[in-house]
Amino acid sequence: MIPLQSYRGFLSSTAANDCTPKDDRFVRIASEQSFGRRVALILCLLCLLAGCQTSDESEAPEGFSPGVSAQEILLGSSLALQGHAGFLGTQTLRGALSYLNHINAQGGVHGRIVKVISYDDSYDPPMCLANTQKFIIKDPVFALFCYVGTPTTVKVLPMIEEARIPLLGMFTGANALREPFSRFLINVRASYYQETGAAVQHLVDDLGLKKIAVFYQYDAYGFDGLTGTELALKRFNLAPVAGGSYNRGTLDVEEGLNKIISSRAEAVVMIGTYDPCAKFIRLANTQGFRPLFYLVSFVGADELARRLENQHGITVVMSQVVPPPDRRDPSPLLTGPDGYVTLLEHYYPKDQPNFVGFEGFINARVLVEGLRRAGADLTRERFIDAIESIRDLSLGPDVTIAFSASDHQGLDRVHFTQLENGQFSLIRDWAEIKSQLNAPR
Amino acid sequence: MSLHLIRQTVQRFRDISLKNKIFFSIIAVILIISAVIALLARWILVDNLIDELELRGIAIARTIAERSSGYILDMNQPELLSLIFEEAKLKERQHLVSYIFVSDREGQVLSHTLTRKFPETLRLANQVPPDQAKSVRLTRIGDQMAYDIATPINQGIYRIGTVHVGLNKNHIDQLVAKLRTTFLGFLSAVVVIIFIITHRLAKYITLPVFKLTQIAEEVSKGNFDVKLDFEQVSKGGQPTECPAFANPEVACRHLDGNLAPEAHGGGQGAIDPVCMDCRFYRSQKGDEVAQLADAFYNMIWSIRLYRRRLRESEKKYRSLFDSGPDPIFVINHQSFDIIDANPRAVEVYGFSREELIGKPFTELAPEHTHEYFQSLQSQGEAHGLVTYPKALHYKKGQKPFYVNLHASNTTYKGQPAIVLASTDITEMVEKDAQLIQANKMKSLGEMSAGIAHELNQPLNAIKMGSDFLAMMVEQQRAIPPSDLHQVVSEMSTQVDRAAEIINTLRSFGRKAELVTERVDINKPIQAVYTLVARQFELDNIHLELDLDRAIHPVMAHDNRLQQVFFNLVANARDAIIEKNQRLPDRPVGTIRIRTYQKGNRVVAVVQDDGIGIRDAVRDKIFEPFFSTKESSIDMGLGLAITYGIVKDYGGDIQLASQEGIGTTFTLSFAAA
Repeated sequence: MIPLQSYRGFLSSTAANDCTPKDDRFVRIASEQSFGRRVALILCLLCLLAGCQTSDESEAPEGFSPGVSAQEILLGSSLALQGHAGFLGTQTLRGALSYLNHINAQGGVHGRIVKVISYDDSYDPPMCLANTQKFIIKDPVFALFCYVGTPTTVKVLPMIEEARIPLLGMFTGANALREPFSRFLINVRASYYQETGAAVQHLVDDLGLKKIAVFYQYDAYGFDGLTGTELALKRFNLAPVAGGSYNRGTLDVEEGLNKIISSRAEAVVMIGTYDPCAKFIRLANTQGFRPLFYLVSFVGADELARRLENQHGITVVMSQVVPPPDRRDPSPLLTGPDGYVTLLEHYYPKDQPNFVGFEGFINARVLVEGLRRAGADLTRERFIDAIESIRDLSLGPDVTIAFSASDHQGLDRVHFTQLENGQFSLIRDWAEIKSQLNAPR
Repeated sequence: MSLHLIRQTVQRFRDISLKNKIFFSIIAVILIISAVIALLARWILVDNLIDELELRGIAIARTIAERSSGYILDMNQPELLSLIFEEAKLKERQHLVSYIFVSDREGQVLSHTLTRKFPETLRLANQVPPDQAKSVRLTRIGDQMAYDIATPINQGIYRIGTVHVGLNKNHIDQLVAKLRTTFLGFLSAVVVIIFIITHRLAKYITLPVFKLTQIAEEVSKGNFDVKLDFEQVSKGGQPTECPAFANPEVACRHLDGNLAPEAHGGGQGAIDPVCMDCRFYRSQKGDEVAQLADAFYNMIWSIRLYRRRLRESEKKYRSLFDSGPDPIFVINHQSFDIIDANPRAVEVYGFSREELIGKPFTELAPEHTHEYFQSLQSQGEAHGLVTYPKALHYKKGQKPFYVNLHASNTTYKGQPAIVLASTDITEMVEKDAQLIQANKMKSLGEMSAGIAHELNQPLNAIKMGSDFLAMMVEQQRAIPPSDLHQVVSEMSTQVDRAAEIINTLRSFGRKAELVTERVDINKPIQAVYTLVARQFELDNIHLELDLDRAIHPVMAHDNRLQQVFFNLVANARDAIIEKNQRLPDRPVGTIRIRTYQKGNRVVAVVQDDGIGIRDAVRDKIFEPFFSTKESSIDMGLGLAITYGIVKDYGGDIQLASQEGIGTTFTLSFAAA
């Protein structure tokens, strides 16, 4: 246990002690030196001990990337293609594909066709997880693309981290995809926190509403929206006056509705999917409960609008993370030769332009930009580096994409729309809504 | 061999310094304790940790086994995956669980949490025997090792599948290593801290001891002015600030506190106010080391004070020695060599100090010195004073002079020695001699009538003879040759007699030499008889001599002894005359002088039958200027001078007297 050096020091100091007393001073200095040496030696040994334990982590795989071949780049997309959120998945995918088809028609990126494999997960997290594992192991794909839904995406996060595969363009504003920061997650749209934060600000500041209730889906998505709302309200020293929830995939909104009605809320923040939310609004309207209904972007504007066509006297506001995809909008991003409206009409002529598809379209734009920037020698790491190099990429008047090594969210704008004549259109003046709310119905 | 080694080690340990002893002992104990703790910790913590982790793996596997049976039967692969994925990636668990997979009855993998192709080797690597509830085996997955914990999934009594939970061996090893490192680090830190503390402590304890040793070393070399710079010094100052140091006469409360009040002279009682808060003696509060340092410091300070006092006292006595008005010698007790002499001795004796030192003292004083010193020696250690009056000493060049000697035994430089002071009394002796001479002249005067009468007798006889011869020549008568011869020889005899008287007279009147000589005491008695016998006859006083011819000589001066006896017989005559005046019918007085040898003493007795001496004055009889006679005639010095002379020769004079009957003086001298 005693180091050899110190044993030698011991010998030398004892030997020196046999000298005449005159030499004692020297001895003391010598022993102090050996003392210092001994301490240093012990510390060195400790360092060595500690050094032995440093983990030998396996290095990231280099060279050939899965899902990339000379001809094509394979991407995996797990989203709801059927079921109660089927519209969201379908439109997201079609929006994206309309641009990717366009790019592929022009010869792809760096000579490679961008191919998207899509599996339906029906907005079911286990299925999404199974799909993702399949993408990673079986297919395998270069990157994951256009996932839809908070609980589904959140479920696969550990697998993404483990497989170190990039995931770009998630149709969800969940905070879990943003914090803690992950290099492999590339968000395009603004977060639910940003949406609810901006919404609550308008509700309180512009409309003077204080009694705000929350109706949410009882899962990661709903909780995320709830938290965002609560945080936003807290800034005004407010709290939700009531909270109602429903289970994912059901339409059991009555209990939540009753709770919220009894709270006499002036506004209801709704974090759910279009079917339960539409049911909630219809039931409320039927019962004469007509507060301001605010919904986050995920609800799906067009499907909701369709389901509320025959409802009157209600004020429905929805935040969007992309501008309304209006056919008349002259923006090149919509009606230009490679705009969303133009390409959707070309590849999916039966579909109407919508917010969800537009977001998918923008995701595809970012993806292609990233692939282009990554160069011909494509790897996952290079791809992520390329995405991070995108700074202020202006796609249209209101759409400017910006990333950095510490910011993996391309857009921050939140747009507010109001349901008018079966269609959501941008709110220009909040005073109108105020007067509308105050008008006797 | 090993015993020898142990003994050698023990010996070596004994030889090392106290500091290292403390240091190494504590370090050794700490290291042993640390080693024991490390082993115990490894045994308890590491084993328990591994067991605990394994138990967690089993728990995970059991949970999955319970919950997955439904999914397996339904072949619901996504839910199964979700389940095992949840279990595998649950927060911190993801580091521990490296994989989970579920296989069916046939061992086909239904679901797994890997993000790569399932390795075929893993599938059947760990199979649970039919009757076992679990099986644990170390397996390899890729380049990693894992503990594969397999638990069967049962539906009813049949096994429908197996759950495999792979625990990351690397992670477990890391945890163990972390635990070990933390623990060892902690122990090492403790050891290092104790190492430093011990080092400091050992130094703290031993440094004062080391310093004390150094100071003691210095002190033992005689350097008492060594700096007493202990670390704890808060007081102290210049030594001269201590009243007792500055003035050795001042008593120190601390140093002299235990002594009797008279032990140290000076200002006992009146304590200097500075001393109320002594800045030199310390008694600080502190541990044993500090107290030892204090005691040591106090001891050194006491030594310094003592030394200071001793030096001052030595200086004082040295100055007494050096500037004494009389010569002082220090003489070897055995050889009588001079060891030391003061400047006055150099001055008086005329020898340089170098010449004096080592010279036998007997060279300065050949006479009587031996006996004198021997009498001192016989006193032994007693510090009695021995006086030797009127010793004859010789200056450089053999010039004699008289001194009074006072000597006593002493100790000089640790050896018994004689300290001797000599007072030059030559002048006094000369004065004495003059006095004696004067006294002699006076006696001569007194004797002149008798002497004249004495001289007249031979002159008359010569006159008668010469007249007879002249008459015979005038008458032309023939003188028969026989008659002529008779007359002439008678005249010659008378001339001789006159010459003898004159010679005696001359010798009496001569001044004595300084040097004594061997004298037959009968001779001066005879001379005095010659001078005074006829004269005394006129006064009807009969002077009888009864002299022992065989007595030894004594060391004296002949004519001084004549004076002694003359004075005595003169006094005797006066006493007889006085008695005769009172008793006129008394026919004749007698003075008797007798000599004899008694042992090695020569005794002379002068006895008269005069008036005697009254008891009242008997004690004063030898005092100068004391006289019973008419003051006009007598100075009262006679007996005083007699006494002085006898004492000068080391003799003794005794008086026995009876009033009205007579007086006897008995003189005794040491035989030469």
